[in-house]
Amino acid sequence: MLILLRDKQTVLLLFLMPVALIFFLSLAMEGVWADKLTGRKIQLVIQNESKSPKANLLEEKIRSNKLIEEVARPAGMDDDKLFAEGRAHAIIIIPKGFDDSEKPVEMYFDPVIDAGYKIATRSLIISLTVEVVMGIDNLETVVAGLVTEKKKPNKEFPTPLQQNVPAYAIFAMFFIAIPMSVGFLKEKKDGTLQRLFTYPVNTNLVILGKIVPYYIINVFQFILMMLVGVYVMSHIISFSFNLGEHRWHMVPVTIVVAAATTGYGVLVAAFAKTTEQASTLAATGAILMAVFGGIMMPHVLMPLMMKKLAMISPMYWAHQAYLDIFLRDASFNMILPRLIILTVFAGICFYIAGRRVKWI
Amino acid sequence: MNALDISSITFSYEGATVRALQNVSLTVADGRIQALLGPNGAGKSTLMRIVTGQMRDYSGGVSVYGTKMPDRGALLSIGYAPQPISLYTSLTARENLRFFGAMAGLSDEQIALRTENLLERIGLTDHADEQVATYSGGMQRRLNLAAALLHSPKLLLLDEPTVGVDPQSRNRIYDTLVELNAAGMTILLSTHIMEEAQRLCSSVTLVDKGEVIFDGPMSGIGDLEKFFLEKTGRGLRDD
Repeated sequence: MLILLRDKQTVLLLFLMPVALIFFLSLAMEGVWADKLTGRKIQLVIQNESKSPKANLLEEKIRSNKLIEEVARPAGMDDDKLFAEGRAHAIIIIPKGFDDSEKPVEMYFDPVIDAGYKIATRSLIISLTVEVVMGIDNLETVVAGLVTEKKKPNKEFPTPLQQNVPAYAIFAMFFIAIPMSVGFLKEKKDGTLQRLFTYPVNTNLVILGKIVPYYIINVFQFILMMLVGVYVMSHIISFSFNLGEHRWHMVPVTIVVAAATTGYGVLVAAFAKTTEQASTLAATGAILMAVFGGIMMPHVLMPLMMKKLAMISPMYWAHQAYLDIFLRDASFNMILPRLIILTVFAGICFYIAGRRVKWI
Repeated sequence: MNALDISSITFSYEGATVRALQNVSLTVADGRIQALLGPNGAGKSTLMRIVTGQMRDYSGGVSVYGTKMPDRGALLSIGYAPQPISLYTSLTARENLRFFGAMAGLSDEQIALRTENLLERIGLTDHADEQVATYSGGMQRRLNLAAALLHSPKLLLLDEPTVGVDPQSRNRIYDTLVELNAAGMTILLSTHIMEEAQRLCSSVTLVDKGEVIFDGPMSGIGDLEKFFLEKTGRGLRDD
């Protein structure tokens, strides 16, 4: 443990890297969350060229809709510049002749607007226009009797903190494979590992002594990240960090995740022949697992194919186990299958490493 | 009783086509300093690693003070200073000795007492709390030796203990070895420095290509380097 702690740069990096990732990515994703998941208002320029009672009513309905934020067109600014400068998502023109159904309402969209926004805006304008033209007071209420949205209980999108704090804590925990495998190979190369075996000590005890310090560091990494998430980040960005009802389930999950990460470290150590190879292999593996596992791109935003592919990554199971706790108030039985998968992953890593590694 | 009895050891590294050791037998009498000489790749280090229990997949027998190896208890009667500086360079000298003392099962009191004695003996007391990474090659070599002595072994195996060190450190190591031998410690010394072997050792075992090609007293040899080259040839050993 002392040897590991003496490597101050590595230890610092293991703790600072996830803090920095959580900090900057949570800030960066705050906007994405607001846009995609919680519904940022659609910014519209409304041009009422008709000024007839119906046109005025439509203009008022659009303006007062809770999803809409009307923006004024600066004097002399054309549509292209309006979009280029990001001042509006769309322009709605209510033309002269709208009352007589001679001309339809015109919609112009920012060419780079998100497709979801475009569809939502179009649907909204169509329904509001139908309300005005058909003389229906509130189409949404009428439609509610025909079509209604049913939400699954306890199925919510994670906030940026609920997504990023466990995500990058897990990511950093898997990065322990770098110092772990490099340290192992270095000890093997300089003969200190071999020297240990010239003493009458139990081989398994020596091996355990090499693994346990990294395991402990892993657990502390997670604890620190949670503290940063709950007590620091939630004050910096506008999203709260709800830990769920069964927050103590984080204990078994973290115990198992740390076993999986140290298992990964031993596996890398068993396959790498040089320290350079070990660090490359460990980092590349961790990044790939993160990409697939919903760490870098939230799993909820992935296309179906990627959602299925995510399951090959142990980071996915680890992350989902934490999200189960934070978002779904998961009982232990609910997270148990994920823990079993992670335990199996750890077991496979240790087994393969045990078969392959030459301690001397 | 002999300190070390090696009988008919044969050993091959995994995947190697040539045997590292071929029917090697030798004895080291108690209280002696014996040289183990041979060109690079002769099998000297492999032999020491077998004696110290690092390699198990060999045929033949090894006994240390009459105890057949591998034996956990008998390992404590062996001190081994490997050729590479096998120390934790991020730790201090004192921390290294404390760690290896604990590995040898010494009590905290024993470790503390022996650490101070050894640091004094190898001239590192003033640098005991500095990280080993900051040490010169000679200081590291001396500490490498001290780590092998901490548990007061009866048999000391030294694999090129003075390689790459200055004359001052080398002479300190020689003095230490002579003192230890005078106190009853048996030493098997592997080295490429012929003067060193001739100065310290009373007997010599010459190994080449995994076989013992000479085993006898140092006294009748005369010029050891000339003898060595006559026995092993002048061809380069790059394999």
